[in-house]
Amino acid sequence: MASIVFDHVSKTYSDGADVIRQLHLAVENGELLVLVGPSGCGKSTALRMVAGLEEISAGEIRIDGRVVNDIPPQRRNLAMVFQNYALYPHMTVRRNLEFPLRMRKLAGAEITRRAEKIAEMLDLTALLERKPKALSGGQRQRVAMGRAIVRDADAFLMDEPLSNLDAKLRVQIRTEIASLQARLDVTTLYVTHDQVEAMTLGQRVAVIREGRLQQVAPPWEIYRQPANIFVAGFIGSPGMNVLRGTLEAVDGNPVIDLGPTRLSLPKQTLVDHPGLQADLGQALLIGIRPEAIHLADNLTKDVLPAQAHAVESLGHETILHVTTGLTTIPCDTINPAASATPAPPLIAVLPGRHTFRPGDSLRLDIDGNGLCFFDMSGNAVR
Amino acid sequence: MKPTAHFLTQLLRYSVLTTLALLFLAPLIIMLVGSLKADARVLVEAGTLAAFLPDEASLDNYADVFRRSDFLRFFFNSVLITSAIVISGLLVNSLAGYAFARLQWRGRDLLFNLVLALMILPFEAIAVPLFYGVSMLGLRDTYFAQIAPFIANAFSIYLFYSFFIGLPKEFEEAARLDGADTLRIFFTIIVPNSKPVFASVAILSFLTWWGSYLWPLMVTIGPSVRPLPVAITGFFTLPPLLWGDILAFGVMMVAPVLVVFIIFQRWFVRGVTASAIKG
Amino acid sequence: MRARFGDQTSTALMLAIPALLGLTLFILLPFLTALALSFTNLRLGSPLPVEWVGLEQFRRIFSDADFLRALANNLLFAAVVVPLQTALALALALLLNQGLRGATAFRTLFFMPVVFPMSLVAVIWTLVYAPGPNGMMNALLEQVSFGYWEARDFLRDPVLALPAIMLLSIWQGSGYQMVILLAGLQNIPQELYEGAALDGAGHRQQLLHVTLPQLRNPLIFVMLVTTILAFRLFDQVQIMTRGGPDNATTTVMYETVQAIFTRRQVGRACAMAVVFFLLVLTITWLQRRLVRQEREVA
Repeated sequence: MASIVFDHVSKTYSDGADVIRQLHLAVENGELLVLVGPSGCGKSTALRMVAGLEEISAGEIRIDGRVVNDIPPQRRNLAMVFQNYALYPHMTVRRNLEFPLRMRKLAGAEITRRAEKIAEMLDLTALLERKPKALSGGQRQRVAMGRAIVRDADAFLMDEPLSNLDAKLRVQIRTEIASLQARLDVTTLYVTHDQVEAMTLGQRVAVIREGRLQQVAPPWEIYRQPANIFVAGFIGSPGMNVLRGTLEAVDGNPVIDLGPTRLSLPKQTLVDHPGLQADLGQALLIGIRPEAIHLADNLTKDVLPAQAHAVESLGHETILHVTTGLTTIPCDTINPAASATPAPPLIAVLPGRHTFRPGDSLRLDIDGNGLCFFDMSGNAVR
Repeated sequence: MKPTAHFLTQLLRYSVLTTLALLFLAPLIIMLVGSLKADARVLVEAGTLAAFLPDEASLDNYADVFRRSDFLRFFFNSVLITSAIVISGLLVNSLAGYAFARLQWRGRDLLFNLVLALMILPFEAIAVPLFYGVSMLGLRDTYFAQIAPFIANAFSIYLFYSFFIGLPKEFEEAARLDGADTLRIFFTIIVPNSKPVFASVAILSFLTWWGSYLWPLMVTIGPSVRPLPVAITGFFTLPPLLWGDILAFGVMMVAPVLVVFIIFQRWFVRGVTASAIKG
Repeated sequence: MRARFGDQTSTALMLAIPALLGLTLFILLPFLTALALSFTNLRLGSPLPVEWVGLEQFRRIFSDADFLRALANNLLFAAVVVPLQTALALALALLLNQGLRGATAFRTLFFMPVVFPMSLVAVIWTLVYAPGPNGMMNALLEQVSFGYWEARDFLRDPVLALPAIMLLSIWQGSGYQMVILLAGLQNIPQELYEGAALDGAGHRQQLLHVTLPQLRNPLIFVMLVTTILAFRLFDQVQIMTRGGPDNATTTVMYETVQAIFTRRQVGRACAMAVVFFLLVLTITWLQRRLVRQEREVA
């Protein structure tokens, strides 16, 4: 087992494109850390630099304290699970499992013993003599896992290992990976573009955007306290709504003027976010989870009038896209203060028992608890 | 289309194909049938339908070939030269193709462009200086002179290169992480997954060198290292002109190619078409 | 000192060097030698000193009637064989692409001559062209002309010798072209035909507006290969006619081999080889241009 440290690592391709910029991140011993981000953000490149499949342009990668920049992949003792599994097509499952051990020149009997033990652990015993072509997607995935586990690698690298599976199987294998990792207690760096996978699997989640690390934190913290509006919008499905407003104090109570409506905040808000004191009277960005928007009832103090624009009914919940007079900000803009992209609709997630049709007029209530605040450049105000 | 019209078109197509097929086959049938006939009858009956009918077949002509020529030696020479070129060519050119397709090294692109440029240079353009060099070094009439110049082949390198570049990289990356070095990856991962290109290159070069005529004609002096294509013309001009014997010689010369062709037909066609899909 | 990561120069050289060495020694070096020697008067076994003669060899071969005849023969051969063979191969490929039952068997038959060594083909066809009314070709021509054909000695006839060699070359080579064109035909997406049919195109229009344009690159390729083959023409000539009668079938390669083999004129033969190479280069360059033009249009 080993820790993996990115020490100000950068990757620049020969055409001058920066894929990774100053990545500074440590995967603790035995930890499962998920690198997540939209496609093309450089997360796979980061993983491949650890594996030794990509050159490191600047900075250092250390595995268990040892700088590996110049060490070829075969000498790093890492195991990797590839997106398309990369099972050797001409070898049976048994030979695939044995291959890493053969490369390590173990004794024949020991190779057989270990391969069979792993096969049993992963329920592959009946498939040992088959070739990858004759396996289902889930079985191939398990063989790929087995090939990684079989040889006591210092760490596992997983590059989107579930993306070739259908949705149901993905959930099942996801839990299998989580429990396997916990059992083996092996340092794992896991790359995915799927934030659900990241949230469910990761002990910590690192969000990357355009080669830059945005935030590293446990899933709940990423969810509740996103470091900036990009993370806010990327994590959660649907992502957080970000609105433009002005923070005011009315009789010592914090109130946000959202334009068409006002939102009274609990007194505690200023205590939890001391940074807000400086923003009183200033414009700022407010993050509201779609789950924090409800239908207004008689007790609602600040009703937000809205009109349903699109309705997605998932059964247990209904996702509403509504038009309001609020100034919404797209989360993926670099400069949220002056965005050229049109304002996105406000999104609310309501319990599935409510049914709506596009065009319906609604009265909404925003829960003032658990809001997030960002300055005008999009960074969290704590 | 009406059923009768359809039937007539089909009939027309089949008749055209059959006629052409017969014209294509005629010389080959004449060879086979003639090889089984008494020498005197081959020429006399060539213009009649009897040329296609092997009545009173005998293997006398075949026996004659062995008696009148050193057929086994020529055959052995051809097998030795061709298989030496094919087998070592597969190794040498596939390794080079792999280095060009997959490894990162200085000068790679420059050298690869040079290899591509050499592809358009037909052997005929260098036969003369090569012959001059071989003569100067006293290497005429050797196996070496007939094998060594043809092992490295720009076109084979190109075929291997374009196949390897299309293989998914993940296999190699997985194998590297599993602890294999480049040579190990090549032999345990790449080669077993590249059977089509090895088959294509093997068949193309086998065909080329089994039938190669100009070079062995230039470099061989006596019969000791002479291969079949030159030997048959020698036998052809050896008086008396016995057509039955010559055709029997021809049948035995082409038999290995035909056997290989019939067994591996799919690969022949693939090999030939692979050579066209470029540029 | 450790090699920089990702740089596999030493491994790569280890893998590539046998091939690179072979290519250098047996192709590049001889080629450069040919270029150099074509400017000399070098002769094998001659006691005279070797001299730098500049373009003298080229001047001589281009005023040599035999060599000019050889060039003309090659050009004529290409002009006749390339279109005929390509047309035949295209017809065969189109016929075999109709989804007929037994198409594979026919394909095998038409391809069979391709695997035959040229020297054997030349020997067999010498029998086919046997003189006298009993010769196969003579007899066949007599049959189809209802007795009007008078037996000729094809290979000793100044008019018929070259066409005779052309015919056997077409017989031997069209299977090769056919297989490539057939693969090209099978690469044409079916949707194009379906679209054309919906647009009201009949069979002939589909052939003209879908098949042939789509087949352009394979066609250019097979024509290039056959043209180059026409300039490489040697085996058949050497075996069947020895360039005769009266140089009727001599070729550039035949003259080249004569120069070095019977007259031991290395310099002269090298000059011929250089001319031959320039011809091949021109043809290849033309093909590349044709293919590129099509890409620009597309």
